[in-house]
Amino acid sequence: MNTRFLLLALGCALGSFHVDAQTDTASSEDYSLYDNLGFADSGAKRFCSPKIEGLSPAKLISLGYDFQGGYAIDAGDLFAADGTSLLAPGSVAQTTATYGLRAGFNIPVISKTNIVWQMGANYWNTNFLYAPDPSSITPNPLHQTLDEHGIRTAGVNTTLFKPLDSKQFLLFQGSADLSGTYGASLMPLDYLKYSAALIYGRRPTEKKQWGVGVARTYRVGEINYIPVVLYNSTDAVNKWGAEVLFPARAHVRRTINPRNMIFAGYELEGQSYRLWRNPASGFELRDEELEIRRGEARLRMVYEFSLKDFIWLSVQAGYRVNYRFDVDRLVGGTEIYRAFGLLRDDAYAQVNGLGNPFYLNVSLNLVSP
Amino acid sequence: MLRKFTLWAASALIAFASLNFELQEAPGDKLIGVWEPSNGRARVKIDRIGTKYYGRIVWLIEPNDPETGLPKTDKNNPDPALKNVPLKGYRMLKDFVYQADGTWSEGTIYDPLNGSTYNCVIKMKDKNTLDIRGYIGVQALGRTDVWKRLAVQPAKK
Repeated sequence: MNTRFLLLALGCALGSFHVDAQTDTASSEDYSLYDNLGFADSGAKRFCSPKIEGLSPAKLISLGYDFQGGYAIDAGDLFAADGTSLLAPGSVAQTTATYGLRAGFNIPVISKTNIVWQMGANYWNTNFLYAPDPSSITPNPLHQTLDEHGIRTAGVNTTLFKPLDSKQFLLFQGSADLSGTYGASLMPLDYLKYSAALIYGRRPTEKKQWGVGVARTYRVGEINYIPVVLYNSTDAVNKWGAEVLFPARAHVRRTINPRNMIFAGYELEGQSYRLWRNPASGFELRDEELEIRRGEARLRMVYEFSLKDFIWLSVQAGYRVNYRFDVDRLVGGTEIYRAFGLLRDDAYAQVNGLGNPFYLNVSLNLVSP
Repeated sequence: MLRKFTLWAASALIAFASLNFELQEAPGDKLIGVWEPSNGRARVKIDRIGTKYYGRIVWLIEPNDPETGLPKTDKNNPDPALKNVPLKGYRMLKDFVYQADGTWSEGTIYDPLNGSTYNCVIKMKDKNTLDIRGYIGVQALGRTDVWKRLAVQPAKK
């Protein structure tokens, strides 16, 4: 009797701990006790967060595959540096597909209330599948270079978010990319392309932030300095929102639930690709410095959802619209800043046209807490 | 009579021992208190239960769901059975154990905004500041939020 009673009492005592520890909600309590609280440290300040409520989750690691359907590439005449001597006549060739790997990661380095700093890296590979083999029908070096080498970009990037107070912030994004027709070994670092953006922003509510700034960008293929506008918002019931960094990208977001989101919008993609050591294909660098200025818009629908916990699948489908795919000649090793033709209107070494295919991009992502 | 007294004394001793176990100050108890995440949208009260630390939501800047006008529930929880559980009182920090290195670890943090639970480690920067790092598997894959301790403010004159 004695022993049984003791065991019962002990069981009740321990059981009460167990129940408390496992229950997700506590019993009723006067929560008004917590209304009139302030920082214990009177010098503490509130700072605005880099995110707003309802925003799509940031991707820590992304591994994807990009596929474009077939289209024609109309390679123009290739002229020498004098602008008149014809090096190679233009020709049209057909691709059956353009495809490649897209990988990236982005890791928070410093994450404090008054500063957030992230570092990342990315690798994009684009292969051009011609049919038939262009070397059998045309000597044009653009087709041969794309067919044999494709184009790729490897780079590092950084994002610095500096809140000024609870409503205002500064955002800096910078990247350095090696883009070209290189293979297993990278090109010399002299060919790095730098992009950057600096934005002053405000975050008037938990569900809206906006900002204005300037950017140095290759999004339309060649170097440009342009104004940028940031606008992210979520409606009162977390169903609709906007995620905009104009002109780079703009999307309307429909949130089915926080683990299922649909986007409609566009993104501008672009870069300058150094034509690197391809003497066999005609782009010889001994006396020429040539770069492909690639700029395109991707009009698309995107569906992103959680496969399991923090692993998300992103599927995007849309229409790739070519804006520029011209070969430019560097003057004295320096790229030409045309400012959309306002400052200079130097002729390109080769003016090319690309057909516009449908495309599909699928990526597996590990998303941030 | 003696037997009854013995039984009563034994049960009282156990009850007292368990109460004492609960109330006795532990090295990790400096974590106990009311804290505010950096977004200022909630307040979380951290307590010790046994040897572990737990934090529950005790205040929300927006207590009612704008869609229904009713008190917010855990509607983003992937478990349908928990979607109607009120957010106020919700235990979002669970199972933290104070370690010899001065951190609280082995626990999890729940984000009601997306219904996800993350591994979490808590470091006290100073007596009024916490670094709360939610992560996925390894600490490198995570994000740190800074929480500030709250206290009752003196009445304004």
